[in-house]
Amino acid sequence: MDLLEYQAKALFREIGIPVLPSQCIDHPRDLKQLDIPYPVVLKSQVPKGGRGRAGGIRTVENTIDAIATARAIFNLSILGKYPNVLLAESHYDAEQEFYLAVILDYTLRRPVLLGSCQGGIHVENVMAQMQRVVVEEDFSPFYARRLAFKMGLQGDLIESVSDIVQKMYQLLIQKDLDLVEINPLGVSANHEVMALDGKIAVNDHALGRQSELANLASSLTHTPQPADQPTDLQWTDSQGNIGILCNSPCLAAATLDLVYKAKGKPASCLIVDGYASWDVPSAASPVQQLQNALQQLTDTQNIQVVLVNILSNEAASEAVAEVIASYLLSKDENNSGVSAVDPAKTPTTGKLHSRDSPNRRRRHLTPKSLSRTELPHLVIRLANGKIDTIQDRLAALPVHWMGNLDQAVAQAISLAS
Amino acid sequence: MKFTPDMKILVQGITQPIGSYYAARMKAYGTNLVAGVSAGQGGQTLHGIPVFDLVEEALSEVGYCDATVIFAESYSALDAALEAIDAGLSPIILVTGGIPPLDMIHLLAKAQARETLIVGPSSSGIIVPGKLLLGTQECEFYTPGTIGVISRVSTLTYEVALALTQAKLGQSIAVNLGSEAIIASSFRQWLEILAQDKRTEAIVLVDQTGGDSEDETAEFIAQAIEKPVIAYVAGQYTPEDKQVGDTSAIIAAQLSGPIANTTTAQHKVAAFKQTNIPVAEYPSKIPDLVKKALKYH
Repeated sequence: MDLLEYQAKALFREIGIPVLPSQCIDHPRDLKQLDIPYPVVLKSQVPKGGRGRAGGIRTVENTIDAIATARAIFNLSILGKYPNVLLAESHYDAEQEFYLAVILDYTLRRPVLLGSCQGGIHVENVMAQMQRVVVEEDFSPFYARRLAFKMGLQGDLIESVSDIVQKMYQLLIQKDLDLVEINPLGVSANHEVMALDGKIAVNDHALGRQSELANLASSLTHTPQPADQPTDLQWTDSQGNIGILCNSPCLAAATLDLVYKAKGKPASCLIVDGYASWDVPSAASPVQQLQNALQQLTDTQNIQVVLVNILSNEAASEAVAEVIASYLLSKDENNSGVSAVDPAKTPTTGKLHSRDSPNRRRRHLTPKSLSRTELPHLVIRLANGKIDTIQDRLAALPVHWMGNLDQAVAQAISLAS
Repeated sequence: MKFTPDMKILVQGITQPIGSYYAARMKAYGTNLVAGVSAGQGGQTLHGIPVFDLVEEALSEVGYCDATVIFAESYSALDAALEAIDAGLSPIILVTGGIPPLDMIHLLAKAQARETLIVGPSSSGIIVPGKLLLGTQECEFYTPGTIGVISRVSTLTYEVALALTQAKLGQSIAVNLGSEAIIASSFRQWLEILAQDKRTEAIVLVDQTGGDSEDETAEFIAQAIEKPVIAYVAGQYTPEDKQVGDTSAIIAAQLSGPIANTTTAQHKVAAFKQTNIPVAEYPSKIPDLVKKALKYH
């Protein structure tokens, strides 16, 4: 997860990377109490690139100008994001701009130092001059000097730039980060350096042992995902009509491949993923996730078929079938009297043939009221487990049980078309 | 490296709920679990397995072990693995997931220096059907046979095992390398191990979108592996910006040069096809391709 610029700069300041005097602005009227002399740069704090080009970074000359501009920036969406806070920062006259970054390269399994003597917003220029130094063994400042030298720097700039890189590296290691980037690093006429913009990518797996970062991160995520909610992969299409439910992202990827290949239209794809197995007691209950996922998919108006593909041991499959049965039966009970499902129109349990009768087609075309009153078809692929009695209990509902993945996909697509 | 039922196995983190649960399952499958380690819990016996405070203490009591399976929590996993390396244990099966990448980088440097084989992190381990279970694999999808499976995916591995089993193609061994951004042992390392495994006649590689190294893998198979290899890559339709794996892996790929375009499932498929390695379009196609490859081999 990326920190906001002002949060990154707070960490820079802590480790001794020079940053300009600045102040966070929560509301345009805060600018009346500004301690920084004009001209001042106002910067939209959104976790997105391209702020400058979108008009999210503007220089202002006085308080009236600043308040009006701040109002405009608060109301400016950058790639769909509105800022909650602006950063007011001193203006800096840079003669040159560099790009610097320290990243964990997952392929090399090493930290890598990156530097370009062409910093700024023109990515092509930055990339064209990009130099890299792989930190092969324990870090020592010579790696940073090697980068400065490769960037073509001379004289006192070698020391000042490599000093910044060294501090960026320290930050990466101390705070378990994935990326520390300064772009641009401003260089003044007398070779002073200044981090004018900064980006820090936090590693989510390390947040548990970085309490300072965890606090910053929690201010960025609006609603933390509770453990009983399924994960939405968002690989799909709001125009689709098949909801997919799997117990791992890789199984979902394979299931989606099959559905797309057969010209089906997935609407959303949820993952219910406890620990490796369903019968292990763990914090994230897959049973609760499964209930919530079923609710979410069956309540979505355009979803006509829910395809459940859960692959685990027999005991887990039986537990899954049981959860599905109690969910559907309680749902059916609540709806009876409003729009009872006609048993004559529902398929027989355990039979694989399609019952896509004209009656059924018409059922889908009837306009739906605000709250859904009837169930979509459920195609449930369980490869194992003794579920006969559960199947019998659901005989009156539009549920189709399959042991084979290819057949389950074919059935789901035929019911959805 | 031989995986036999008489291997003596250590379990680190055995008193963790998950460790205890899977230790019982491994033992029930016939795996020779000789000791468990959990600091502060030494002296007790769990599922008939003696528990010790330290790896070295366990080894001095039960003798040398042939492998260790680690269930420690994510921030203790580095320490547990370093303890195992220090005691000279190899292979190490790292079931633990969510280990911070800096810890993994540290661990891999150490493992390389000591020539320790690590599988994982976030691995469901190794199964020799009917004989040996090291980890959390669901054994009911497997049957004994001659097909080796090396996978980089989690649950989808069972879909592949099931397809093979239903086609009467039993498995000699199945190893799950783990599906995280940084994993210890690679397809290449395990292709070498299975190439030397006498029981294995053909090898199935199961991969997903994200990550890299497929060019290297495909080339290595073409040059060095005599046994038939079949590949399957899930995630052909997974949008490129939503790939399985860590976003930082993608940042790293974008910034550090020529690997930028090599992270999609399509690219992996292309790399395999280019070196004439048969690629299954979906799991149920795998058995046909395996049979065909064995026939022509």
